[in-house]
Amino acid sequence: MSPEDIKEILTEKYSDKLKEDKIAGFEPSFIIEKDSLLEICRYLKESNGLSFDLLSCMCGADYEDRFEVIYLLFSFSNKHKLSLKVQLPKESPEVESVTSVWQGANWHEREIAELFGIKFKNHPDPRPILLPEDWDEGYPLRKDWSGKDFKRMPDFK
Amino acid sequence: MSQEISEIYTEEFFVNMGPQHPSTHGVLRLLLRMDGEVVMDMVPHIGYLHRSLEKIAENRTYLQYIPFTDRIDYVSSMFCNQSFCMAVEKLANIPVPERAEYIRIIMVELNRIASHLIWLGTFSLDLGAITPFLYCFREREKILDLLEMTCGQRMTFNYMRVGGVSRDITAEFIPLAKDFVKYFLPRVDEYEDILTNNPIFLSRTKGIGLLDQKTAIDNGVTGPSLRATGLKWDLRKDEPYSIYDRFEFDIPTGKNSDVWDRYMVRIKEMRESLKIVQQALDGLPEGPIKTKTPAVFKPPAGEVYSRIEAPRGEMGFYIVSDGSPKPYRVKIRTGSFSNLTVLSLISRGWKIADLVAIFGSLDVVLPEVDR
Repeated sequence: MSPEDIKEILTEKYSDKLKEDKIAGFEPSFIIEKDSLLEICRYLKESNGLSFDLLSCMCGADYEDRFEVIYLLFSFSNKHKLSLKVQLPKESPEVESVTSVWQGANWHEREIAELFGIKFKNHPDPRPILLPEDWDEGYPLRKDWSGKDFKRMPDFK
Repeated sequence: MSQEISEIYTEEFFVNMGPQHPSTHGVLRLLLRMDGEVVMDMVPHIGYLHRSLEKIAENRTYLQYIPFTDRIDYVSSMFCNQSFCMAVEKLANIPVPERAEYIRIIMVELNRIASHLIWLGTFSLDLGAITPFLYCFREREKILDLLEMTCGQRMTFNYMRVGGVSRDITAEFIPLAKDFVKYFLPRVDEYEDILTNNPIFLSRTKGIGLLDQKTAIDNGVTGPSLRATGLKWDLRKDEPYSIYDRFEFDIPTGKNSDVWDRYMVRIKEMRESLKIVQQALDGLPEGPIKTKTPAVFKPPAGEVYSRIEAPRGEMGFYIVSDGSPKPYRVKIRTGSFSNLTVLSLISRGWKIADLVAIFGSLDVVLPEVDR
């Protein structure tokens, strides 16, 4: 299916829950309402025409006014791609876990939860994953984080 | 007497395998729940090699970050270099000269063979065969000599640049590389003579650690381990990047998706890589090796994801740029991270010695998991 077809199907079905975005690489891409994330993901995986069976990558990002979680999807049977984004507030960011849709999301979500402090609701195994067991210096990938030994490199002009 | 026997009982116990264990290839801790010799359940603990490469990226310029990418997977650094450079090139729309593309492909395919050789050597060592290990490292040495001749390093190459490669290949490189291709092809047969139909090897690998295709895809397994389930999927063929569409090569797949199939896929892949190296050496054009980029390099603001087929599966960089000389956010997607997640699913019910074979067959490299 071409990116235009996917765009058409999705905008028709979920017109009020998503808007278009721009990510070079996995096109088309959409920003979706965080409350309908699970519903849309389920549809993307299970509907016959789309069947996005691979969650290729998940990425968190910290912006001035929001957090973002990015989902890069791919379909082996149809060879098409899609990226989804959810935007979360700075105060207590929380989003539904998609582990029930793609098992592979498990470790990706644990990583994002640990490094960004984003909570994934109904995650089956919400333990920390990468940092030391006694880590108590906050969420290192947040932009306002500063650890004991962290030094910022001088800026280029 | 019968009284005493009925008092004997069994119970499950826990074993810590690692973090320092010869068959974990790095530092990985597996917490095993055992019933005698059988693995009932297993929880992998990772993070011992976490060097916060994603945080470091936000604090370095794009050029400064290339040597760090070497450390993501130090047995196949060329792929990390290539993946990162391709992402930045896509972001800033920088063309790569044809000669540079050819050189890149020669280097990554040689590196793929070297990486598979390390895997084959250590995998057979895990199964108790010492000879293949020595053979593999003998041949790998020759590849490292070739790579060293080009970029001065044997492991962490720091060779590719945004828009090309850092230096041209030397005059002696091409004849030596051609000699290597001729020399190496019969060596692959030699490994096969020792292992492929060896009864001990077969009984350790045939029918062990079955991974069905649905579980593999659901967990994001890519690379040779996915191809061993019978899915013919290779980014070089199905989503040709760089200039892979100009070369002829096959995508080997497996059927039963056991340890033996994963072994076989990688053995065949070495032969295919050799074909690509040969074709690239024959077709190498003259010309510039790098597009000029400004000294203070500022790509436009935007988001980009670029993925390549690394020896351990899909490797990709997700880069968010805000238009400054440093990336705003870099996410590294590596094959090993996702491939390791299935280990606990496919090793349940097997003996602990099989676990070593299963883990070896997934070809997980820990620095790539922890980043």
